[in-house]
Amino acid sequence: MAGKVLEVSGIRKRFDDIQAVAGVSFSIDHGETYGLLGPNGAGKTTAISMIAGLRRPDAGEIIVLGQPMTPTSREPKAAVGLVPQDLAIYPDLTARENLRFFGRLYSMERVELNRRVDEVLEVIGLTDRADDRADEFSGGMKRRLNIGVGLLHRPQLLILDEPTVGVDPQSRNAILESVEYLSGEGHAVLYTTHYMEEAERLCDRVAIIDQGEIKAEGTRRELVRRVGENDRVRIQTTGSSARAISRLEDLPGVVNALSGDGSIELIVEDASAVLAEALGIVAEVGTSVAAVTVDEPDLEAVFLHVTGKALRD
Amino acid sequence: MGVVLIVAAKDLAQRARDRSIFIIGIVAPLALAFIFNLVFGGGLSDVGENITLDMGVVDADRGPISDAFVGILSEIESDGLIDLTTYDDEAAARAAVDGGDVGAVFVLDAGLSDDIQAGSDGVIEVVGDVDAPTTTQIASAIAEQFAVGVRRGTAGALASSLAGVIGPEDIAAAAAEATTAEPALRIGAVPAATRQLDASTYFVAGLSVFFLFFIAGLAVTSMLDERREGTLARLLAAPISPGSVVAGKSLTSVVIGLVAMTVLVIASTFLMGATWGPLPGVALLVSAVVLAVIAIMTSVGALAKTPEQAGNLQSIVAVTMAMLGGTFVPISGGGFLERLSLITPNAWFLRGLGDMAGGDVSDAVPAAIVLLGMAVVGGGLGLLLIRRTVRL
Ligand SMILES: Nc1ncnc2c1ncn2[C@@H]1O[C@H](COP(=O)(O)OP(=O)(O)O)[C@@H](O)[C@H]1O
Ligand SMILES: [Mg+2]
Repeated sequence: MAGKVLEVSGIRKRFDDIQAVAGVSFSIDHGETYGLLGPNGAGKTTAISMIAGLRRPDAGEIIVLGQPMTPTSREPKAAVGLVPQDLAIYPDLTARENLRFFGRLYSMERVELNRRVDEVLEVIGLTDRADDRADEFSGGMKRRLNIGVGLLHRPQLLILDEPTVGVDPQSRNAILESVEYLSGEGHAVLYTTHYMEEAERLCDRVAIIDQGEIKAEGTRRELVRRVGENDRVRIQTTGSSARAISRLEDLPGVVNALSGDGSIELIVEDASAVLAEALGIVAEVGTSVAAVTVDEPDLEAVFLHVTGKALRD
Repeated sequence: MGVVLIVAAKDLAQRARDRSIFIIGIVAPLALAFIFNLVFGGGLSDVGENITLDMGVVDADRGPISDAFVGILSEIESDGLIDLTTYDDEAAARAAVDGGDVGAVFVLDAGLSDDIQAGSDGVIEVVGDVDAPTTTQIASAIAEQFAVGVRRGTAGALASSLAGVIGPEDIAAAAAEATTAEPALRIGAVPAATRQLDASTYFVAGLSVFFLFFIAGLAVTSMLDERREGTLARLLAAPISPGSVVAGKSLTSVVIGLVAMTVLVIASTFLMGATWGPLPGVALLVSAVVLAVIAIMTSVGALAKTPEQAGNLQSIVAVTMAMLGGTFVPISGGGFLERLSLITPNAWFLRGLGDMAGGDVSDAVPAAIVLLGMAVVGGGLGLLLIRRTVRL
C-alpha cells in the first residue's frame, strides 16, 4: 500500500497560558505500531484529540490516508478508531448495546455488525458478560470494553490513549495482548503511554514527547543508541540521596545523575570504571546502599538522557 | 436522518432504563393533579349547575329602567341561579360585599332612568368581592347585557329575553365575554383559561406542562452527560455531524413529551373526568406546547456547563414559568401579571384549551400559533447556544 496511514506535521495547540502541543510532526506507516512516550502533561492527549478530529489545531496539518482530518471530516474519521484515555462508554447500557450503538454510528450493517460485536466481545474477553450493564463491570472490564468500542469498525488506524492506566495486572496484560493481536492483523496503531515497558513491548517506533514537543524518535534500538554505549547504574538507597547526587554529577565518566524513588540513577560511560568510586561517594555522605544494578540503557534511560528528567513523577 | 434515529433510540433506551422518566412524566403529574383537585376542586367550579350565586342590589333610582333591571334579576333569581338581597343604600351593600355576605352588588344610582331617558349615559355600578371572581364576572355580564339592551332602546324586550332564555351555560359564556366598562367596578378577573376549563382539567393541564419542562430538560442534560461520561469524545470522533446528535436528543424529548402528555390526557379524562376538549385541537395544542417547552429548555440548559447546573437552571425556569403561567394559582387581577403570564407557554396552553372549550377546534389555533412561534424562536436560540456543549 502506498502512502502513510497518518502524517502529522507541525501541529500546535494552546490552552490559555499553556502551550500543550508545541509543533509535533510524525508519520505512521501501514501496519506500524507507533508509540508516544511521555509523562503526564506532556501533551499526548491533546495531540490525539487533534489527530482524531475532536479539536482543530492552532497550526499544522493532519493527513489520514491522504485526506486532511478536521472536526468536520467524514472519511478520515471513518478510518480511525479512538480509544480515549478517559472511559467513554455508557454505564447504563450493556456491553453489547454499547458496541452496537457506536458500530451503527460508523454505518455498519446489521448482520456484519452483529457478527463483529460477537467477535470483539471475544477479543476483549467479555463474551460472558455481554448482556450485563457496564456499570456492573470492574475497572479492568470497563477499560476492555472501552477498547472494544474503538476497534469495532475495523479502523485502519487505531488510536489508544494510555489504555492501561489504573488497570489491574491481569487486565493490563489482556489489553497489551489485544493490541498485539490487532497490529498482527495489519492495523496501524498509535499508542500513547507513560510506561516505558509498554512502549518497548508494543511499538515499532517510539517518539519521546515532553512539554508538547517530540524530543527524540526512532526504533528502540535507534533511541538507545542516542544514549551512546552508556550503561545505567541504579543504586538503591535507604536514606536521603540529595547530597550524593550533586557530587556524583561532577564525577568524571558520569553522564547524568538523578535521584529516584529511594534510588539513585546514573548514566555512565563505563560502569566498571566508575562504580567503585560512585559507591564510595554515596557511603561518604552517609547514605547507605541496599542494592546496586547495572543495565544496558532502556527507553527510560533515553528519556532521562533527552529530557534531563525521569519519566515517572 | 439515520444518525438522528440511532441517537434517539439509544437515548430512549437509556431513559426507559432509568425509570425516572415514567415517574416525572406520568405518575407525578397525575398524583399531584389528583391532590390539587381534592383540595381546590370545589372552590373553582362555582359555575356548576347546583350553585347559587349571592348577589345584592341597591335601587336608589326607582325609575322605569331600574324597575326593569330589578325585574330581570328577580326572574334570574326565580330560576335559582342567583340569590338576590336588596339593600337600602350603597354603604350597606358595600358592607355586605366586604363581609362576604354577597359576591357582588348592583348599584342603581338615583336619576339613572332620567339620565337614560334624557339621552345621556347612565351607569350601573357593580361592586364585586375579590374573593368571588366568578360571581363578579357574571354580575358584570348581566349588567353589560342589560346596558346593551338599553342602548338599543329595547329594555323591555331584553328583560324577557334575558329572563327567559338565560341558563347556566349562557351566564358562563356571557361572563367570558364580559368587559369591564363600568366605573368603580372592582373585580378579580379570572384569566381567560379558567373561564371555561373546569378545575380538574385546568390543574391537570397546568401540571402536565410543568412536568413537560422537566422532560424537555433531559435533552440538554443528556448532552452534558455525554460530556461527563466521556462519550462525547467518541461522538465527535465518529463520522457524523454533531447537529444530528443534538437532533436525536431533541427527538427523544419530543417523543417522551408526547407520550407523557397523551397518557395524561387519556388518564385524566377517564380517572378524573377532565374535559380537554375536541381531540384535534388538543393534539394540536399538545404538540405545539411540547415543541415550545423543549425549545425553551434547550436554550436554558445550553447555558450550563454541567448536568447539575443545567438541572438547577431548568428547575428555576420550570417553576417560574409555571407560577407566571398560572399553573398553581390562576392569575387574577387582569393587569400586569396577566400580561406577564403571556410570555409563558403554560399560559398559552391553558388559554388555548379554554378558548376551545366552547367546542370549536379553530379557537385553539391562535394559541397554537403563539406556541409554535415560541418553539421556533427558542429552538433557534437553543441551536446557537448548544453548539458550545457539543465540543470538547
Ligand atoms: N482542556 C484543557 N484546558 C486547559 N489546559 C489543558 C486542557 N487539556 C490539557 N491541558 C493542559 O495541556 C497540557 C497537556 O495535557 P495533556 O495533553 O492532557 O497531556 P498528557 O495526555 O500527555 O498527560 C497539560 O499542561 C494540561 O494541563
Ligand atoms: Mg493524557
